Amino acid sequence: MPIQINRGVRGKEFPPFVVTIERGKIKEFARAIGDLNPFYLDDRVGQASEWGDVIAPPTFMTTFREAAGDGGDFLRELGTDLSRLLHGEQEYELHRPIRPGETFLCRSKVVDVYEKSGRSGPMAFVVRETAVTDRANELVATIRQVTVVRL
Amino acid sequence: MKYAKVYFDDVKVGDELPPLVKGPIQQIQLTRYAGAAGDFNPIHQDDEFARAAGMGGVFAHGMLSMGFVAQAVTDWAGAGAVRKIGVRFVGLVRLKDTVTCRGRVLGKSSKDDGHLVDLEVWAENQRGEKVVTGKATVSMPLRD
Repeated sequence: MPIQINRGVRGKEFPPFVVTIERGKIKEFARAIGDLNPFYLDDRVGQASEWGDVIAPPTFMTTFREAAGDGGDFLRELGTDLSRLLHGEQEYELHRPIRPGETFLCRSKVVDVYEKSGRSGPMAFVVRETAVTDRANELVATIRQVTVVRL
Repeated sequence: MKYAKVYFDDVKVGDELPPLVKGPIQQIQLTRYAGAAGDFNPIHQDDEFARAAGMGGVFAHGMLSMGFVAQAVTDWAGAGAVRKIGVRFVGLVRLKDTVTCRGRVLGKSSKDDGHLVDLEVWAENQRGEKVVTGKATVSMPLRD
């Protein structure tokens, strides 16, 4: 039986959260993808590079999650659960590479919610945007994510 | 040669990136990626859960495939070159699937902040079915 999702979440802003980049986490992430690029994995190569340290792969910000929550509260507010979710789209606009030890502020909001019928039945699309800023309050990245809820 | 330096001057519209072949996908890689990414959705780990959810069994995180596509881009353009990458997840990647990531140059432009190359990127499975489609923009150096 189809479920209803709460379209009232459009415009919702999530509590901002802070992330500090860990050296080992960058390497663990690159290795999990099987990407053995020395600019991610080799500290000596990183030190000799234009960035002065290893950098994170382009999709590393997927690890930026609020430590306190598992996202369950938002799913309940939306009126769904994990088993109905699919990842629809993901986009990273990256203004510069990021390095171990850097601390960032992440501010997310729901920018759109809409429904559509697809091959596998009715679906809702939840579009979230996250602004990632550094300690100088410079924008480092903008993340756009579309989550699909199977209704 | 892997990680060869590519210069903006030498790139032409229509050029193709060297294909990057990943897989066959094994459960252990999905478990490892879950830990590295912090995404513990059981739909990627627990076959019973995935079947009960109507997905016919476990499938790979979309973000793992996006990571593969990003690797194809950085293997060619260099680590740190990606200014933008955006993808749509158009098909599921299953256990034992092989994922081939490809890309093609759509355009070039020079701006104050650098020399940019726009790419069409995608990934396909062993049957040639697209599982990821998208675009990327990379910054590239000029030859001295």
